[in-house]
Amino acid sequence: MSTTATSTQRPSTRQTGCYVYGIVPADAELPADAYGVGAPPARVTLVPYGDIAALVSTVDVGQPIGRPDDFIAHERLLDTTAANVPVLPLRFGAVVTNTDAVAEDLLAAHHDDFAKALAQLAGRVQYVVRCRYVEPVLLAEILAENPEAASLRTQMRDLPTELTHDVRIRLGELVSQAIEAKRGADTTAVVDALAEHCVASAARPASHEHDAAHVALLAEKAHEAPLAKAVDQLARDWDGRVTVQLLGPLAPYDFVTTLSPGHGA
Amino acid sequence: MTTAVQPAGGALDRPSSSSLADVLDSILDKGLVIDAYVRVSLVGIELLTVDARVVVASVDTYLRFAEAVNRLDLSATEEQGLPGLMHNMREGGAKDKAKGAASGALEAASDKLRDTLHRGDKADTKDSKEH
Repeated sequence: MSTTATSTQRPSTRQTGCYVYGIVPADAELPADAYGVGAPPARVTLVPYGDIAALVSTVDVGQPIGRPDDFIAHERLLDTTAANVPVLPLRFGAVVTNTDAVAEDLLAAHHDDFAKALAQLAGRVQYVVRCRYVEPVLLAEILAENPEAASLRTQMRDLPTELTHDVRIRLGELVSQAIEAKRGADTTAVVDALAEHCVASAARPASHEHDAAHVALLAEKAHEAPLAKAVDQLARDWDGRVTVQLLGPLAPYDFVTTLSPGHGA
Repeated sequence: MTTAVQPAGGALDRPSSSSLADVLDSILDKGLVIDAYVRVSLVGIELLTVDARVVVASVDTYLRFAEAVNRLDLSATEEQGLPGLMHNMREGGAKDKAKGAASGALEAASDKLRDTLHRGDKADTKDSKEH
């Protein structure tokens, strides 16, 4: 056993780091009550350099982050900011030594790329459309379309459970494959239906087995109303089969890497 | 957490804030990655590569789908039509079950994340002792 510090003996000097949330134009104004990660939540400040600035707060590096409140604080700060000014969101968990390192190593070193990306984002925000299948309706649809699945269902119901393991596996596999195919088609339908209302779209991988579509959209903030109307139309068309949720305006999480020049391999 | 309750008169759900699951989808594997741009010390916190996604295809999933198909009352679907069934589903237990499954995955994700962070801490401490 090594003699690592334990809970009985805490280091007398706390090591702190500089948690970075995102990058904004230098003239961005923070709300007076901007708080970020940590317990208690730390005050968020701006570290400016040239035309850009980083949203940061001090974090105690001896205290692990990753509580639900930390995730929510990270996103809330970025979404609130994005509603007013363009912002390049950083992935959760970026901690830099101190504010000098933020200014010199992060902002100065990439000033022009970041400024250009922020200019491209001016007036634009992200929305997320998430569609979920209503399971019994989905399953009935699959059984109606797939004779093999329907016949396996009959076998499963006619035989004692202990004899139907393989039948159930095969049936479940068919259902799973059918959902995947439907997900692909429905995701395309969402992207096509909303294409004229956004400047870019990015399909997200399914994060739930009932996901019908999970699509991030970059859109002009000024065009939110027609976009919301188009999503509402989608929801009406699919009423009963798929539930539709629209999130946003959000920071452009799904679009920053493609907007930052020189990042590609 | 946002719920799946639909507002009256329209099918679109527009929650005023993101649920924790939505937050994790946005901030854990999206956004600028700082070390792609700058070499600074990440003081004990590793860059996170957390896969918060549910594994979609597995034997357990198959068996669960089969069970759902088994329980499915097709005659009810035919008699009531889809909207009627939908209505029952909203009031029935399926929503709670779906919610339970989602938050289960979520807890797993946060646990994993915490592990990652702790591991990051420990790995750093160990490294600095060894060198």
